[in-house]
Amino acid sequence: MSVDNKVIRFQSPVFSKDIIIIVGSYGSGKSEVAVNLARFFVSHFPPSEKPVAIADLDVVNPYFRSREAASVLEELGIRAINPKGGQFYADIPIILPEIKGAIEHNEGILILDAGGDDVGAKVLSSLNNAFIPDTYELLLVLNANRPFTSDMEGCLKMIKNIETASRLKVTGIISNTHLMENTTPEIIIKGLKLSKAVSKKTKLPLSFLSATTQDLKKIALNAIDIPVLPLNRLLLKPWEKKD
Amino acid sequence: MEQDTKTIFSRPEALRDTVTHYCPGCTHGITHRIVAEVLDSLGVREKTLGVAPVGCSVFIYNYIDTDFLEAPHGRAPALATGFKRLRPDMVVFTYQGDGDLASIGMAEIIHAANRGEKITVIFINNAIYGMTGGQMAPTTISGQVTTTCPFGRDIAQTGYPIRMVELLSALGTPMYLERVTVNSPQQIIKTKRAIKKAFQYQLEGRCFSLVEVLSTCPTNWGLIPLEATKWLEDNMIPNYPLGCFKTPDDAESNHGTV
Amino acid sequence: MLFGAASTGKRVFTTSSSPGISLMQEAISYMAGAQLPVVIVNIMRGGPGLGGILPAQSDYFQSTKGGGHGDYRLLVLAPSSIQEAVDLMMLSFHLADKYRNPVMMIGDGMIGQMMEPVEFPDKYEEPELPPKTWAATGAKGRPAHIIKSLFLDPIALDKNSWILHEKYERMKKEEIRFELYNHSPKNEIMLIAYGTMARICQTAIDALKQEGISIGLFRPITLFPFPEKQIYKEATKENIRELLVVEMSTAQMFEDVERAVYGKKKVNFFGRTGGIVPPPEEVMEHVKMLLNKKSKDKKKA
Repeated sequence: MSVDNKVIRFQSPVFSKDIIIIVGSYGSGKSEVAVNLARFFVSHFPPSEKPVAIADLDVVNPYFRSREAASVLEELGIRAINPKGGQFYADIPIILPEIKGAIEHNEGILILDAGGDDVGAKVLSSLNNAFIPDTYELLLVLNANRPFTSDMEGCLKMIKNIETASRLKVTGIISNTHLMENTTPEIIIKGLKLSKAVSKKTKLPLSFLSATTQDLKKIALNAIDIPVLPLNRLLLKPWEKKD
Repeated sequence: MEQDTKTIFSRPEALRDTVTHYCPGCTHGITHRIVAEVLDSLGVREKTLGVAPVGCSVFIYNYIDTDFLEAPHGRAPALATGFKRLRPDMVVFTYQGDGDLASIGMAEIIHAANRGEKITVIFINNAIYGMTGGQMAPTTISGQVTTTCPFGRDIAQTGYPIRMVELLSALGTPMYLERVTVNSPQQIIKTKRAIKKAFQYQLEGRCFSLVEVLSTCPTNWGLIPLEATKWLEDNMIPNYPLGCFKTPDDAESNHGTV
Repeated sequence: MLFGAASTGKRVFTTSSSPGISLMQEAISYMAGAQLPVVIVNIMRGGPGLGGILPAQSDYFQSTKGGGHGDYRLLVLAPSSIQEAVDLMMLSFHLADKYRNPVMMIGDGMIGQMMEPVEFPDKYEEPELPPKTWAATGAKGRPAHIIKSLFLDPIALDKNSWILHEKYERMKKEEIRFELYNHSPKNEIMLIAYGTMARICQTAIDALKQEGISIGLFRPITLFPFPEKQIYKEATKENIRELLVVEMSTAQMFEDVERAVYGKKKVNFFGRTGGIVPPPEEVMEHVKMLLNKKSKDKKKA
């Protein structure tokens, strides 16, 4: 039985909105979740029906941004909205005019991958008038192994800071607790527990859990009772091998 | 009918036909265009050298179609000096942001101004480090929130925002200093007039000239472009009064003894 | 300022002494990246930090290994007399233009301060150089020239780095300069020194000759490119038993000599720092120590 067949037994996430904004702390795994989400959508909707686009809003950090996976995504028929040419690598905030256009005239699925923390989410504020309430989901990627989101207090503060900086409301939580290649089932379950507690406290729905297919293989099927997005890592370090 | 058709508005020759990388609502584009229009109107494009800064406008050489040097951070006035001294027949300008000019480049700008280098400086002040992700600049105004002063700039810890034209106007050397902004058509016209005057002083070999342009940074201010313009009017202009601070004609009366 | 001035296409230079040169390293790196021909003279004083103001050779690494950030080298020339400084100065401007690379001439306070009679040629004859088509002279009837070291696209930056590397390889082929003093098959010891230190070694060699001891000197004139192969060739001659590197620094060039000799011969070091210029007697003493040690070794064997 192949890995995929085993993983597919988890329930897939369901989305009611066509614009999905991914926020979270630095290094929580936002970009990896965002690019995998784009892949998830494109495998569920033929591009002719619902074209999928992903925009990189990370103006804070020039490394490990979703734009690094652009060529892979484009091969899959996903539109990647990134600066082109030399500016692709620029350590410069480049908010393409296309992004506002993509939000206002979205005809398919649009994923916006913001930068880390409230600092990265501030960019959303400058696009504030493009967002129509109730047409987007603002999902917080929660990794309990990041120092500022390792407990309830930190998570609540992160949500508050991101909401203030972005002038948007968080609408859901993604449980993405991991420790890269050292992830164990216990780590994933610990993160899920924290996400559930935060969800209960804030009344924000728990959208889904994300973890790599390899890590999911190691987990007992009944341990996760929420939808799951299996991740195939696209943003690899130079010494890491592709799945 | 054809002879009645004439072009009344077109891209300046000194502005390349390309799309800039600037964020929506950023005023770099307007100021680039003004500089290009002035170079055209003075007919000096072909004998002009620009010096690009480190900052968002590092790629200005992709937009303004003159020879360019790309300076180390803050050192544009030094490069401009070296060039202008050997080629006094050419027109030399630097284009620098507040992080570049008022922080790391503070020594360069003060000495270039004080030596009376016959160069023109276009100084873009948006009260923040734009390129690096919105950190506090020397020009960040009191109480303004940036990524490195998340509770607002505390003047007790970091001093008052530096007003560059006021600071430079204390120098005895004759120079031209004016502060302008580009928040409205009226101000844009005034800015163009000031930038033109700055280049004219250089062409006449009269003095160092610097025009400070109060600018917006919607992305790092976290505001939509219209709000950013409003923020500039409500917060920047009161802190950075507009107007001409010095001309070579009044240098002596400004400074008393020389 | 040098960056701006060099961009006009005219021949430009600057001079300073160690701490001042450290301050310039940022711009030197930019000029190497932008391929600007400039000449820089560093009259070295003792360091690190403010150190002292007396003669030293302690900036060997800084000059020959780049100095600022990034993947680049300077072409480094080290005169040992004022006449040579005059000659190399003219050559410096030529080499800077030939390679479109900063050239650094390093001397110590002795070279910088002393007076010596010199001869200037009536006219400096130099091979023809290509026109400086890259200079910023105004975009009249041609596309604008942009002189920069910024290449954000990694492919473009990689390309630029290899263009620079090729220049350095070409320098290694075409520009190596050195001098041999008292070259003889009788020599058992070869001194290696540059600049003022080489001149002191020459006096020591002459004095030793009076005492019936013959040793030779290898004096690198270009420190980058370093005459590695030439040193190897001389050092591996059968009559040469050991080398002695003499510097006014703590074994900096020594590392390059060791690398050049490739473990074939023992490389010894003698040096003083801080502005102390070792007199010929100290050099002679060290040579004698090496020779005595060897004769003892011989006896033991």
